[in-house]
Amino acid sequence: MRTSPKLWPRIEAVAAHLFLAGALLYMSIPFLWMIGASLKKQSEIFRNPPTFIPDELVFGNYVNLFVEFDFLRHFLNSTFLAVVHTLLYLFFCSLAGYAFAKYEFRLKNLLFLLLLGSMMVPGYTLFVPLFVLAIRLKLVDSYIGVLLPGIVGAFGIFFMKQNMESIPDELLDAARIDGTTEFGAFWRVARPLAAPAMAVLAVLAFLNSWNDFVWPLVILRTRELQTLPVILAGMVGTYRMEYGIVMAGSFLSALPVLILFTSMQRNFMQGLTVGALRG
Amino acid sequence: MHSITQQHIRERLWYRYQRRLAPYLFISPFYILFVVFALGPLIAALYFSMIKWPGTGPMTFLGLANYLELFEDEIFLKSLGNTTYYAIGAVFVILPVALFLALLINAAVVRAKSLFRIAFILPVLTSTVAATIMFLLMFEHQYGLFNVALEAVGLNALKWLDEELVKLSVLLVAAWRYTGLSMLYFLAGLQSIPTDVYEAASVDGAGRWTTFWQITLPLLRPVSLFVVVVSIIGSFQFFAEPLLLAGGGPNNASLTIANYLYRVGFSYLRMGYASAVGYILAVIIFILTLLQLKFFGAFGRS
Repeated sequence: MRTSPKLWPRIEAVAAHLFLAGALLYMSIPFLWMIGASLKKQSEIFRNPPTFIPDELVFGNYVNLFVEFDFLRHFLNSTFLAVVHTLLYLFFCSLAGYAFAKYEFRLKNLLFLLLLGSMMVPGYTLFVPLFVLAIRLKLVDSYIGVLLPGIVGAFGIFFMKQNMESIPDELLDAARIDGTTEFGAFWRVARPLAAPAMAVLAVLAFLNSWNDFVWPLVILRTRELQTLPVILAGMVGTYRMEYGIVMAGSFLSALPVLILFTSMQRNFMQGLTVGALRG
Repeated sequence: MHSITQQHIRERLWYRYQRRLAPYLFISPFYILFVVFALGPLIAALYFSMIKWPGTGPMTFLGLANYLELFEDEIFLKSLGNTTYYAIGAVFVILPVALFLALLINAAVVRAKSLFRIAFILPVLTSTVAATIMFLLMFEHQYGLFNVALEAVGLNALKWLDEELVKLSVLLVAAWRYTGLSMLYFLAGLQSIPTDVYEAASVDGAGRWTTFWQITLPLLRPVSLFVVVVSIIGSFQFFAEPLLLAGGGPNNASLTIANYLYRVGFSYLRMGYASAVGYILAVIIFILTLLQLKFFGAFGRS
């Protein structure tokens, strides 16, 4: 029997939506499960059949998180590091990206190749020497030690270069004729024009710092200074792990980046893919 | 009058000078940090990989002994195998799924595109630590969501974190966290393909299968190169997922090279040996990246 010509595309469309819906479930269930568990008593978390929406809503996990685990302090630690990292990273990356986009200078191509090549070096290879260096420079257990190696990076420079190439030279020259220095031309002309790209890079930088785990784990020795991911990881695998509290912590640590992202979702989507398309 | 001209000349000289110097000043922070925190350590790591050093006290030069020991170190070889497993899973399972999802979202018939896009990108934003913690609860043997779901459809509960399955479980976490990002890259690539290319193909009577292999995939080559390289480099540096899911175990079944490096360096305090592990990792990533570039023909084109 021949199916009608309209039927087959419709079946396909349904199948496509079903597959996407399946993927959507896989992506969203862990979030829902985490939020649910954070509002349950330990006894309800370990119940079969499980409940998605808690039978009895409890906020004790959140209270414990702040009282027992000093969550606010670590939240502020992470916030401070992420904000400072983002500001420095934006400044230095856009400055260098601007130089690569808008100047001709000797060794430019070689230097840029070196920059791209540096992205291939895995961080773990540098681990031991970096740690030794941090000890020698007295950077262990300090926020300068956490921040310094990452205040400028190859990816950010590459990203800003791609975005700043479209800035018209005429505008920069006009500023120069008015007597501005080169830095003035960058700061007063190029920087405002590149603001949308910088916003995207800001989210990426914030995200990287906020979620960074290994480097703070190694550099920060004092618990009071530690960041959220390290504190959360420390709660896992301890004797009598309190799932509800850990879930509450995970949820609250994920919340800022989710809010940040949804508030500028459209820009962010485009920004993420810049490297892939032009690279 | 005289002094004004001189000042004028000085100012002009300074102006020209700062103009010539500016780009070097602007890029210098990166290269200073690069030398101090990347190139220097990279060279130091090579030296460290040839010494015996417990972190303090004297260093003993060993030559290649650390490397020779590594090739007979069963735990290292196991971590190498595990990491390869993750990389293969990332490239041959996660990436095709990501591409398929991108093709679906890009298809004209699909509705609610932005809903799917956002839902797939949210996991990317979550920290690996938080992501792994979420899955830890879902992998729980008796009350975890995975086993509850399996039992609900009449299947047997699985031991997700046992030796046999733990690597698959790590991949499931990785799939959750990284599929969306690769999908987004593929989607951007798909959207940059001009529609008239497809129109021409359909005029020529090419079916969808042919169109995909003959047109879409070749045109996606730059994006694919980028995504494959990023996936391989990323999966060779897995750290938090196996550590938090199972402590690298059981019996080192989920241990990655990065986990082993950390263990050797910071638990066993064998700084030299850990550096040797790190160097092998760097060499592997370097070779794999070059192979990718060659395979995708990046050298021939540019």
